[in-house]
Amino acid sequence: MKRYLIIIIAALVILTEPLTVYAEETLPYDTYIYDYKGKVVHTPAAYIPSKTVSGKELSCGSFKSPQDMFIADDGTIYVADTGNNRIVVLSNDMEVLRIIDSFIGDSNKKDTFNAPSGVCCTDDGDLYIADTNNKRVVVLDGSGNLVKIISNPQSEVLSSNFDFTPLKVAVDYAGRVYVISSNVYQGIMAFNQNSDFMGYFGTINVRISLTQIFWRLFSTKEQRARQLQYIPTEFTGIDIDNEGFVYATNFDSTGGQAVRMLNPKGIDVIKQNPSGRRSLSGDVSFSYGGDYSGASEIVDVKIQENGIYSLLDCNRGRIFSYDSEGNLLYIFGGMGTQEGTFNQPVAIESYHGLMYALDASRNAIFVFEPTEYGSYINEAVGLRYKGDQTKAVEIWKKVLELDSNNEMAYTGIGKSYLSSGDNKQAMYYLKMGMNKEYYSIAYKRYRNELLRANLGWILTAVLVSFLIYFLFKPLIKSRIRRIR
Amino acid sequence: MNIDDIKFLFYTITHPINGFYEIRHHGKGNIKLSLLIVFLSGAAYCINRRYASFIVNPADPMEVNSILIIFSMFVLFFLFCLGNWSVTCLMNGEGRMQDIITVTGYSLLPILLMFIPATLFSQFVAADEQTFYYLLINIAVIWGALLVICSNMVIHNYTLTKELKTLILTLAAMVIILFIILLFYTMFQQLAEFIKSIYTELIFRV
Repeated sequence: MKRYLIIIIAALVILTEPLTVYAEETLPYDTYIYDYKGKVVHTPAAYIPSKTVSGKELSCGSFKSPQDMFIADDGTIYVADTGNNRIVVLSNDMEVLRIIDSFIGDSNKKDTFNAPSGVCCTDDGDLYIADTNNKRVVVLDGSGNLVKIISNPQSEVLSSNFDFTPLKVAVDYAGRVYVISSNVYQGIMAFNQNSDFMGYFGTINVRISLTQIFWRLFSTKEQRARQLQYIPTEFTGIDIDNEGFVYATNFDSTGGQAVRMLNPKGIDVIKQNPSGRRSLSGDVSFSYGGDYSGASEIVDVKIQENGIYSLLDCNRGRIFSYDSEGNLLYIFGGMGTQEGTFNQPVAIESYHGLMYALDASRNAIFVFEPTEYGSYINEAVGLRYKGDQTKAVEIWKKVLELDSNNEMAYTGIGKSYLSSGDNKQAMYYLKMGMNKEYYSIAYKRYRNELLRANLGWILTAVLVSFLIYFLFKPLIKSRIRRIR
Repeated sequence: MNIDDIKFLFYTITHPINGFYEIRHHGKGNIKLSLLIVFLSGAAYCINRRYASFIVNPADPMEVNSILIIFSMFVLFFLFCLGNWSVTCLMNGEGRMQDIITVTGYSLLPILLMFIPATLFSQFVAADEQTFYYLLINIAVIWGALLVICSNMVIHNYTLTKELKTLILTLAAMVIILFIILLFYTMFQQLAEFIKSIYTELIFRV
């Protein structure tokens, strides 16, 4: 008897022992995602740190507070080394190609930069440099010769003492230049090919909360004058996709919307996930006091292949990736002093699947590589973006093997079954993915299917019951009368 | 509790003024039936939370705790009855505690009557038809609220304005009762702590 008891207890201990995966514990940061309720759910890591490159290890010497980074289509990395007043050009395997710290100016005089904090390169090799403290944007060609200088913009909408302090710069396929300038809250400044100021672009509307309106009602004129003015937030980072849409980020202290996708008219056309609230602002839930509190402060955006874009949060050092429909894909990164963690991240880029982030305080470029999990998600999202739903299902199923709580994978499979007409399967997967909208569509189709298949039976039943009612009506009535 | 009590219950919720008058003055109510209704409507609410279709009910099944829901239903019910009784005692209400418990319990019947059909109905709706589901739920809630107001008015012999005032005061009384319970709880906790520390002190010294 005693022996059996011991065996049973031992079996129970073995069976209830949780299976733990230790691999993730070596990561210096948490990887998680928000579920349909906005609750944190931990996931496998999508990206892991692969290497760190600081200026010290390169032949160019240490960076000093670098503010921007750009990776061209051929993999060349341009770093705006702000504190050293230079642009460092690296090859994709982190060899210094050249250092641009001066150029020949208009009157054949040597000209230098003063705290350049933005850099951008076009497809034909022209380099746009936001030369912040010299209050101009310098355009150099591939061999370092001056092409043009954008400075001192003139327009009716600008005041005569307008201070042009460019921070970030981006160029679209038509040669239009978009500049984020310091202390300009009217929007992004757009310039045409001839360096003429065209106007503000993508102005953010001010949102005043109800409590602010309430307190304004009770304040006197003097109080009102001393209150903060309600001005829109400034843009922080900018990127342009292949079709010419401008993605721009801004701080949103309420955690509302931190990224915009501006069409050529400057209107925000970004897609938001209808079920997820506050879906495009990094962290969904955050504390309002203490360390690492407040909404995510998104400083940069990078558009990758297949409509995936990533946001960089300098508050908690996290990188958030979304697909083209505004679904959060994965989150990684964090603050710290370990390898792969940030101190003051300022810029994010990607090239051939790798993610590059620049840290202004640790003066280094961090490179992250996708894990199996991350690359499956990227692949599946890409396949859906291209319309190949059936292939995507295979990949989503692999994602589910690695993370069986992944709502997006369930939804992805469900949508595919829905389009192939298997409504019952679609219902199962869409419910697992907590996707009410598409579940409802699948349910409606399934209901119609059932009705259509059994219409004969239903109609017969109705007809027969009517017949019985009319045939036996006199009989029932007389029976009742007799009882009375 | 016999079949007549149940028949009278349905008469009451469809003819509230007459029904509640009979309960108050001719002793037609049944307090056991009333408590059964509270229990069953708690159960109906649980069933709704657990089994209503995914489209109208995004609740995680893990989060539905039926014992807690039914228990808190009873706590709220008795809190309301106690608060109402305390307030109406001071405001010349004619109802006795027994009447209050009976009529408040009877007033919860619409929840039992509507939530279960609504749960069944939710199995057949798609997202754009969910309004009909919420219609059923809202009917239950509004009907129940009207019954509570009506029953209180009749058993205490109040006018409508006085009744509404009393209800607001009842809510305040409920909060005060909760506060006092909490106060006593912490006080007794400290008392227990005190006695415990004296005991340990004695153990170590003597």
